[in-house]
Amino acid sequence: ATMSGLEETSNESSELKEDNDFDVEVEGHVEVDYASDPFRLYMFYRDRKEWADLEPVPQDDGPNPVVKIAYSEKFSDVYDYFRALLKKDERSDRAFALTAEAIELNAANYTVWHYRRVLLQALQKDLREEMRYITDIIEEQPKNYQVWHHRRMVVEWLNDPSEELEFIADILSQDAKNYHAWQHRQWVIQEYKLWDNELEFVEKLLEEDVRNNSVWNQRHFVISHTTGYSSPAILDREVQYCLNQIRKAPHNESAWNYLKGILQDRGMSSHPGLLEQVLELKETHCSPYLLAFLVDCYEDALENNNQKETLNRALEVCEYLAQEKDTIRKEYWLFLQRSLESRFGPSAASGEPLADGTEPPAGQQELS
Amino acid sequence: MLSPLQLEEFEQIDFLRDRHVRFFQRTLQVLPERYASLETTRLTVMFFAVSGLDVLDALDVIDRNNMIEWIYSLQVLPTEDQSNLSRCGFRGSSHIGIPYSVKGPGVLHPYDSGHVAMTYTGLTSLLILGDDLSRVNKQACLAGLKALQLEDGSFCAVPEGSENDIRFIYCAACICYMLDDWSGMDIQKAIEYIRGSMSYDNGFGQGAGLESHGGWTFCAIASLCLMGRLEEALSQRELDRIRRWCIMRQQSGFHGRPNKPVDTCYSFWVGATLELLDVFQYTNYEKNRNYILSTQDRLVGGFAKWPDSHPDPLHAYLGLCGLSLIGEPNLRKVHPALNITQRAFQHLQQLQQTWRDNAGTCT
Repeated sequence: ATMSGLEETSNESSELKEDNDFDVEVEGHVEVDYASDPFRLYMFYRDRKEWADLEPVPQDDGPNPVVKIAYSEKFSDVYDYFRALLKKDERSDRAFALTAEAIELNAANYTVWHYRRVLLQALQKDLREEMRYITDIIEEQPKNYQVWHHRRMVVEWLNDPSEELEFIADILSQDAKNYHAWQHRQWVIQEYKLWDNELEFVEKLLEEDVRNNSVWNQRHFVISHTTGYSSPAILDREVQYCLNQIRKAPHNESAWNYLKGILQDRGMSSHPGLLEQVLELKETHCSPYLLAFLVDCYEDALENNNQKETLNRALEVCEYLAQEKDTIRKEYWLFLQRSLESRFGPSAASGEPLADGTEPPAGQQELS
Repeated sequence: MLSPLQLEEFEQIDFLRDRHVRFFQRTLQVLPERYASLETTRLTVMFFAVSGLDVLDALDVIDRNNMIEWIYSLQVLPTEDQSNLSRCGFRGSSHIGIPYSVKGPGVLHPYDSGHVAMTYTGLTSLLILGDDLSRVNKQACLAGLKALQLEDGSFCAVPEGSENDIRFIYCAACICYMLDDWSGMDIQKAIEYIRGSMSYDNGFGQGAGLESHGGWTFCAIASLCLMGRLEEALSQRELDRIRRWCIMRQQSGFHGRPNKPVDTCYSFWVGATLELLDVFQYTNYEKNRNYILSTQDRLVGGFAKWPDSHPDPLHAYLGLCGLSLIGEPNLRKVHPALNITQRAFQHLQQLQQTWRDNAGTCT
């Protein structure tokens, strides 16, 4: 099921468990399935004498439940006892053990995780063992918010990040864009100052997939927190790095976004030789991103020095984008064209009030 | 306006309204055990279904009053001694085991507290169902909300602690907006966190330094709009850059991050953001519509993130909202910041007018 926040960072539809058709009705009560429990070793909590002191607490949705989930008897039994423990805030080993069962049934239940953390501290449990436990769970369910939060808490309590970078690298090797993994990685690096080898890690991943936007983001994260981009040497190194990646893979929005990102507040049109390099690339390595970058360069130039020739070039590129190279965004490029004309064109010089966006063109809009 | 010929071409993929109505009806009834991971967020699932039915103008198929009662049973109310005020709000479900009750005082329980996303979807669901929020303890909700905001301006989801990020700022902004009371949050700090989440590429990440993403960009912009601070928090230059980042997300439908595959839900997250920034009109409606409809499940109804994938309530709802944004016939218009129909929004506005008129006689 794909819920709890945005789709990409929560459980995927494809990971839904199949309906269990193996339950067998024996003498009025349902047994767990043959496949996972062939010798019928599983006993419900309600039948275990060590739990007889506890009164199970069922869920109570009242007379008209909405979005009711039909739990199996096993599931309900575990959670009825979880609710019972919760009510009395019991601090015991049996409670701790039960949280693991509850988590296995639903690892997205944040109350279970919170209660488990309370018990970890109250019972002084072995946190190294907990690290092993949470490692396994994240490997199984890497897009669940609660498991990553739990890991962060344990790492903080241990004050030991030494396993993190390797662990996250492993998760990323399975899904190089897992947002939770990158978020945890940034937290660990920033909290424990583990910057030293991260640029190397970034370069390795960019070699594997130069279009991985998460890795470009990480590049910016590392550099902005270490050397920064103020020094001309670093800035130039990064600009050249970008252009080299673009030569290898021209149709890559991530590289162009990075290039624009590091230059946009430092004067896109003033970086020595850049415009020329981009115009050269336009002949052999053109893309909508290159052309958009050109427009932005021209716009930057116009802001500093409004020249008719520059404006014309900008308008031409917008036209080229709208009509040929990025037609899905045709209306946007035409809008941008009108906007540039309005800001820098002849009517701007006359001192008349600027219209911000002319009327949208006829056609396409509003089906109703 | 489209010409009749264009309309005809558009309608080639047909929109199966009745299937979607039934999809949401089934969602509101019983889900199989494999949906267990949704237990603590059942209220949000209800919101998707109920708001989805509203967009379809099909709320008449459900029993509104029964649903309203169920939502109120999820309210965490103050106990007799009011010692739990900072934990008030709405629960996602009955999973903690509190006995069913629609009125106070609250029950003292060591682990019972509201969840910011449930308070948000609880309130919106009540509004959509036509409730007047008179049984909502607004002051308690706001106290619970306040307790969730951190020094850096972001919010946690629950008072026991959780991850903190821009999603919960959005939930908080919706709550304050609906209750017409911003005392539940420090707006300035929230704005600072939002600004700090802006990436070098001009989209917004979940927090500072994180990769920009369509969902978080929606949370950022929609929050600022609800606060009425969009142009105060962001310069015209920044807004233009954000517009560019968003509009580049369209591939056919929309994706959430550069170089990622498209996904139906981003037709709303990014589409609504573009609408709030006044440039949705410059997107390609036909390609967007074709993509969304390619993810329609013709058998069971609903929409999935990709074609030939299982539909789910979130994508079903946001797919509809995506279609509503482009003006699909027979779908209600959606308020792009609050993510409810304009009809439900008008109901809210009327309620708020009543509250202002009655100011002095508080609940």
